[in-house]
Amino acid sequence: MNNTLNINRLGKVIKRDGAGFAQNLGIALIILWAIPVIIWLFGNMTPFNGKMDPFSRLGIIGTLRNILIIIAPARLYKYCNNSRQGMGYAMMPASSLEKFISMVFYCIIVAPIVYIVGALAVDSVLALIGGSYEGFAVPAYFDKYAQLKHALDNKMFLSEEDYSLVSDSISLSFFITLKIASVIMLSSIFMFGNMVFKKHKTGKMIGILILLSIIYMIAFINYVSNHETIFQLMDEDNAADVIKRMLYIITRAAIVISAIISVVMLWGTYHKIKTQKY
Amino acid sequence: MIKINNLDFAYKNTQVFRRISLEFEKGNIYGLLGENGVGKTTLLKLICGLQKPQHGEVSVDGLTPSKRQPQFLQSVYFLPEEVITEDTTPMRFVQKTGAFYPRYDFELFNTLMKELEVDLSKKFNELSHGQKKKALLACALSLRTDYLFLDEPTNGLDIPSKALFRKVIAQYCNDETTVIISTHQVKDVENLIDPIVILDHDDVLLNAGFSKITERIFFEYGPERLENAFYTEMLPGGYINVMRNVNNEESNINIEALFNAVMKNKEQIKNLMQ
Repeated sequence: MNNTLNINRLGKVIKRDGAGFAQNLGIALIILWAIPVIIWLFGNMTPFNGKMDPFSRLGIIGTLRNILIIIAPARLYKYCNNSRQGMGYAMMPASSLEKFISMVFYCIIVAPIVYIVGALAVDSVLALIGGSYEGFAVPAYFDKYAQLKHALDNKMFLSEEDYSLVSDSISLSFFITLKIASVIMLSSIFMFGNMVFKKHKTGKMIGILILLSIIYMIAFINYVSNHETIFQLMDEDNAADVIKRMLYIITRAAIVISAIISVVMLWGTYHKIKTQKY
Repeated sequence: MIKINNLDFAYKNTQVFRRISLEFEKGNIYGLLGENGVGKTTLLKLICGLQKPQHGEVSVDGLTPSKRQPQFLQSVYFLPEEVITEDTTPMRFVQKTGAFYPRYDFELFNTLMKELEVDLSKKFNELSHGQKKKALLACALSLRTDYLFLDEPTNGLDIPSKALFRKVIAQYCNDETTVIISTHQVKDVENLIDPIVILDHDDVLLNAGFSKITERIFFEYGPERLENAFYTEMLPGGYINVMRNVNNEESNINIEALFNAVMKNKEQIKNLMQ
């Protein structure tokens, strides 16, 4: 018998985990799908008649998707490390790898996709009705190049000259990779938190992330104020090149760091599934 | 066969087992007895792989439980004392669970549910505590695993249900099934268990079948208290004296009296049974 990975057994684990998907995540999904409706209603009720373009709505959908990613592990696998209620999960005749793959499948792939599909459907209905929603978000969602341009135009408030510097460093494929990497990283962090903490799983993980961010900011400010930075080495002649190089390094580093964090968190999750005591 | 060799286990600063060795042979219904807190549940968890020994070995048919390999997991089922159920019907629960067990028998589940008088149509949260326990027992037996571990299975069952429990365990556990019933309510499992394992803090005081026990220990029912008895207890109409079987006489075991005798004469009875 293959005690590590058997496709037939993996299918059974996925089926078993899937049986509780709607029950455990259904209410959260409905609430998160309803938020764009509330925004639409609010937009229609205000006297300003402001229109919301598809890219801004995609930004909201993206934020709500991230909220779902954060809460999904604790909703779907709440009891798997509980000393009493988790025994059934541990005793399920499947390997730790199969349980882990199923967890990854639901938390990283299924939950965000289900949310995005539903949210785009809701958006399409609201756009059909009209009112404060202008245009459809579905074509904008699949037009990653337009999203990138929108992100650079509207979010970074760059001048034409600076825009060319940034767009050179952030290619379309890189933009897509960064988006996927950030989803995997966020999900893996909260999957790990779900396995480590027994109570207030999401809250504790958010607290740790805030704490780490504060420590990082303090360390960064401290470093910048005490060392000769790249900005001090810049002059008018080489400024464009330095910024371009810096952006190139920062953006690639973001991918590498995301990948490292994801691998560490996913390995930690697998290790906890394998060794959790009850 | 379950083999436990030189097992050490502690929860943080509380030592539960110190170098204990024990074997459970196939095809028996073991009674795992002991006072509260001696580690009966912990021993079951170690055998199931829910805990890992700090020292020593636990093996079930040559497999290491703490590795939680599918081959091992599909040969065991642990029914904990506390009833933990999902928001579903017992039928859906058993179908979902049974998919992982190669010898799972849905017909047997239906038969057991009828015999145990549990309503098939109701969800777990609509059933009483005793009904939930019986539904989970039906589920556990229908999986037809080689090893079945029951932790205080009769807690919360009414008197007719206790009789039904004994009946289904005796009826549906064959020579290939090893059942370990952990309990401190020995009367509930009398006439069901054989052999008996008595655990103490850090030690195994007794691990023997009825024939070996009656070969060495004599249960005398009489009108008077005997001086040379390990333990004497007053019964309606007389006394039961638990004593050394010096004349090789046959007697009927009283598990409660045996347990009390062992707890009061730990070393003597341990040496006697070796």
